[in-house]
Amino acid sequence: MAIDIIKVKRNVNMTFWERIYIPEILRGISITSRHFFINLVGFIPAILFGKKRKIFTVYYPEEKLKYPDAYRGRPILVIGDDGVEKCVACGLCERMCPAFCISIQPAETELDKERYPETFTIDQSRCIVCGFCEEVCPKEAILMSQDIEIADYDRSKMLYQKEDLLIPEKDLRTRQAYVREAFARWNY
Amino acid sequence: MDLIIDIIKILFIFTVIMGVFTPLIPWVERKQGALIQDRIGANRADIFGFTIIGLFHCIADSLRLFVKEDFIPQGANKIMHTIAPFIAVVPALIAFAVIPFGGEYIINGKEINLVIADLDVGILYIFAFASLATYGAVIAGWSSNNNWSLIGALRVSAQMISYEVAMGLTIIGVFMVYGSLKLTEIGAAQESFFRWGIFLQPLGFFMFLAAAIAENKRIPFDVGEGESEIVAGYFLEYSSMKFAMFYMAEYIEIITISGIVTTLFFGGWNIPFVPAATLISFFSFLGDTWANVITMLIHIGVFFTKVIFFIWLQMTIRWTLPRFRYDQIMKLGWKILLPLSLLNIFVTGIVILLFKK
Repeated sequence: MAIDIIKVKRNVNMTFWERIYIPEILRGISITSRHFFINLVGFIPAILFGKKRKIFTVYYPEEKLKYPDAYRGRPILVIGDDGVEKCVACGLCERMCPAFCISIQPAETELDKERYPETFTIDQSRCIVCGFCEEVCPKEAILMSQDIEIADYDRSKMLYQKEDLLIPEKDLRTRQAYVREAFARWNY
Repeated sequence: MDLIIDIIKILFIFTVIMGVFTPLIPWVERKQGALIQDRIGANRADIFGFTIIGLFHCIADSLRLFVKEDFIPQGANKIMHTIAPFIAVVPALIAFAVIPFGGEYIINGKEINLVIADLDVGILYIFAFASLATYGAVIAGWSSNNNWSLIGALRVSAQMISYEVAMGLTIIGVFMVYGSLKLTEIGAAQESFFRWGIFLQPLGFFMFLAAAIAENKRIPFDVGEGESEIVAGYFLEYSSMKFAMFYMAEYIEIITISGIVTTLFFGGWNIPFVPAATLISFFSFLGDTWANVITMLIHIGVFFTKVIFFIWLQMTIRWTLPRFRYDQIMKLGWKILLPLSLLNIFVTGIVILLFKK
């Protein structure tokens, strides 16, 4: 059986106008210099009046983009309305974590939830920010934040203890709403 | 007195080129590339929080290069490896000695000719030293004891020798038109606007610019450097200030090419439609000496404005065109530029024969 071979015809035969180089080079130069002058003039109102410039590069440490709610930064623990973390130390996230970066020491408490994590450590140097812990959590106690600036000079400083992870629930409403919407079809 | 004037001229040119243009060109190259590509460009180096649109990067770069380790690879020829950058820089810098940056002026009854060395063979002197620059690249690539460096050096030597032929032949048309090799005379002959080289030798201008950029090994002719193919080509094994000297040579050569193109094709220091005599008579109410001084300053300003324009043009070309393949460069040099330049000489000769009585 003969194989169907598709011959791709590439239009490499240049016209005479293209082959004398100079007009085409001048066309290219006109394009680049148009960008140059538009941006050169565009800088002046940006510097003088703080107008929005045409160049959309972000000066990163000074300017930051607002990330969408679906963005996964470092995982954090949620403090409920009663001022205590929502986590019940069930250990699902620890079990689920593909990078083994979570370690929990559970303990008993007099509160309704009966169990709480005595220590909750996330090794940020190992965390791959997959979001499985958030997905598996039955109590919405662990959520992915928008914080991405976790770089450090020392691995030992990247072990985030419970105190470093706790964030009040009211700051996390948008992410919470997103998580509820996203994982609603698996609502048991 | 002559000696003092000469020293002043040398100091002036040296300051303008080494002190103003060469440190600024990397900044211009970065910033212009950024603007062309809709980016912002280097702006992080600051002194007390002031960045001045990235100008401090010039200082930061040179400081960084001064304090870096000067590394000579194992198996390299130490003497050759050390002198190669000097051979690259000196010819580039020395060529500016014959480029006139102004005409002749009478100040205090003394005739001042604004060129360091008014050689009768001006442009041949530039060619002689431009071909010396090949040695810098070749020795650098050979002495580094590195395969990529050697390939880069071979490419560069072949390319530069090929384009030297084309470059020399393109310029012959200009000499035939103006009847002189002296750059000051060529500049003075372009006083009226329609006698500029671009109008008399349009083909020569484009070919000379192409050949000169190829001679300078810049994009689109930078196969010798070719960072995507052979890492960094002939200066791959260089670090610290020696590395910077190769770049310095490249940047000085940009200025030199701009100066030559300005002098040969764009009227040198002359202002279109405004001859020097008109300018002197316009300022004559200040007295003869001051009129001459002001005319001189205006002409120097005009010359360097044209030079800046050509630096801008070369930068734009650098950010516009992709790199040619090696065989394309050779084809362009030998099969297109060389026959065209011979044709240019032929046609120029016929026109001169027919119309010049």
